[in-house]
Amino acid sequence: MIITLRDINKTYPGIVPLHVLKDINLDIAKGELVSIMGASGSGKSTLLNILGILDSYDSGEYLLDGVLIKNLSENRAAELRNRMIGFVFQSFNLISYKNALENVALPLFYQGIGRKRRNALAMEQLERMGLADRAHHLPGELSGGQKQRVAIARALVTNPSIILADEPTGALDSHTSKEVMQVFRQLNDEGMTIVIVTHDPGVGAATNRIIHITDGEITHSDD
Amino acid sequence: MKTSIFDIENWREIVATLSRNKTRTFLTAFGIFWGTAMLAMLWGGAHGFEGIMRRNFAGFTANTGAVFSGVRGISYKGFNKGSYWTLTEQDVADIRRRAPYIEYSSEINRKYVKSIYNDKSKKANALGVDPDFARIQIPVIYEGRFINDTDVRGTAKVTVIGKNLANELFGGESPLGKYVSLNGIYFKVVGVAGQKGEASIMSRVDDSFILPSVTMRNAFNRGTTVDGLMYTAPAGHKPSDNEISIRRTLSAAHYIHPDDERAVNFMDVSEMFEMIDTMFLGLSLLALFIGASSLMAGVIGVGNIMWIIVKERTHEFGIRRAIGATPADITVQVLSESVLLTLVAGVAGVCFACLVLGIADNATMSPTLGVAGFQLPFTTAAAIVVIFFILGSLAGTLPAVKAMRIKPIEAIRDK
Repeated sequence: MIITLRDINKTYPGIVPLHVLKDINLDIAKGELVSIMGASGSGKSTLLNILGILDSYDSGEYLLDGVLIKNLSENRAAELRNRMIGFVFQSFNLISYKNALENVALPLFYQGIGRKRRNALAMEQLERMGLADRAHHLPGELSGGQKQRVAIARALVTNPSIILADEPTGALDSHTSKEVMQVFRQLNDEGMTIVIVTHDPGVGAATNRIIHITDGEITHSDD
Repeated sequence: MKTSIFDIENWREIVATLSRNKTRTFLTAFGIFWGTAMLAMLWGGAHGFEGIMRRNFAGFTANTGAVFSGVRGISYKGFNKGSYWTLTEQDVADIRRRAPYIEYSSEINRKYVKSIYNDKSKKANALGVDPDFARIQIPVIYEGRFINDTDVRGTAKVTVIGKNLANELFGGESPLGKYVSLNGIYFKVVGVAGQKGEASIMSRVDDSFILPSVTMRNAFNRGTTVDGLMYTAPAGHKPSDNEISIRRTLSAAHYIHPDDERAVNFMDVSEMFEMIDTMFLGLSLLALFIGASSLMAGVIGVGNIMWIIVKERTHEFGIRRAIGATPADITVQVLSESVLLTLVAGVAGVCFACLVLGIADNATMSPTLGVAGFQLPFTTAAAIVVIFFILGSLAGTLPAVKAMRIKPIEAIRDK
């Protein structure tokens, strides 16, 4: 298993504490293409953030590719995010003043890889996404679909164990959404494990397994 | 993670960040630039003005004093308050004998005379002095020599002519060996002299005829009357150390009340030097205070801007954290921006100040005394740059810590 969650609980403190994840148990195998679906406020994004080591959990156990993700220092968490996880966000989250190549190369910068090598690796990923000719364009000069493909290239550049995508088609039209999903399918065919959070049934249908989450609980899983 | 400040990407990012809001960056940098320039210019300027002041006294031995007759301030032994008395040749001899701390001394007498050479005439001061005058107010000898002991002993009718007078009366001609009439009496010119600084006692050397003291008294019917006595104190003593002895001598000779301070006038150049030292210490401290205040305002400005930049870039920092940046990477990035902004603006301010000080130094340069010293020593400039490095780091520290503490998940949500 690349992801193993055991009895994960998460509560946001407040005057009225919000128990967002309740005894979550989940296994995701290497090479799976999984979607997590649920209504707004169901806890699906919190779950993805915990999977992405962007957020902590209160109790339970999370193993990512055999590594126990618990009580990590900020530096260790940053290292694991950098080496093991590729993120794709709904709003692309590209850095606006960096061109496509620099955006894709940025995770390698934090690995201390020299400029020439990281640019070469970044260019490989852009070519893989069919965006070699847009490498020196700023995000503002790219279409929504192109931006998302740059974001996918950035997620892939460190050769991670898993890609976590949070509503990756949420800001795209239906035609571009299909294109992006085709990219994910293709990556999955090449062996990449991908977890997509979505509330779009069309996106869910394009994945191999749908995990439904309601009020912080996994209600059922469709294969 | 291992990011390097030597990676060009780092510097490109810093420049890109600072360039994104050019006006804001310029205004912030200008605050630092102006603060540094003010500090450096005031510092260098204070030393330049001190140099000018000291230059005025150039040639004067620092330990110079002088005594002149005055007006009685206390009625004593039949002499009313307000009555005059005069210094005499005998007083000078007595003072020289009794005053304990006199190294060199010279009478000084002045008379306004009409000088004539061929068809040219000029009214000017004649100064009667002793040879040791040249050890007290060191003259610049352009031609010939100064008054010597032989001139005084022999009451020789010789004169050392001031440089300006020589130019006016003799034009391009050398005055040496020529005779000039002073109030109808002919004096042979044995030298051409001037003075280094601006300050003088009684008359500037450049604009005076210097005569042997006794010759002057005899030639112009002054009898034994002396206008004043200049003297220097030996090393380790001040001219004022002689005051009690001189007062006692003069009080006894001229029926002056022993407590009458108005009756005898003393001048102490060393006190003027001390006053200059004190004044410029104050001026330097004022310069430091004003400059440091301007600088602090600039640094606070940088800190403020860095807060705004961190706030604006919270989302970006969140993205960076998500893709692998450690808190230290973010801190270094914010600090680098702050230090670069402060250093570049600070160094530019120092350079600008050096340029202005250089112009001031050239404008106030004296042909005989050189530059006044409107300069910033290299060590001071280097110290300012180091201070900027520290201040820039300090200005960026709080914003950097704030940036470091940003949680990636919260930062990504921040739009």
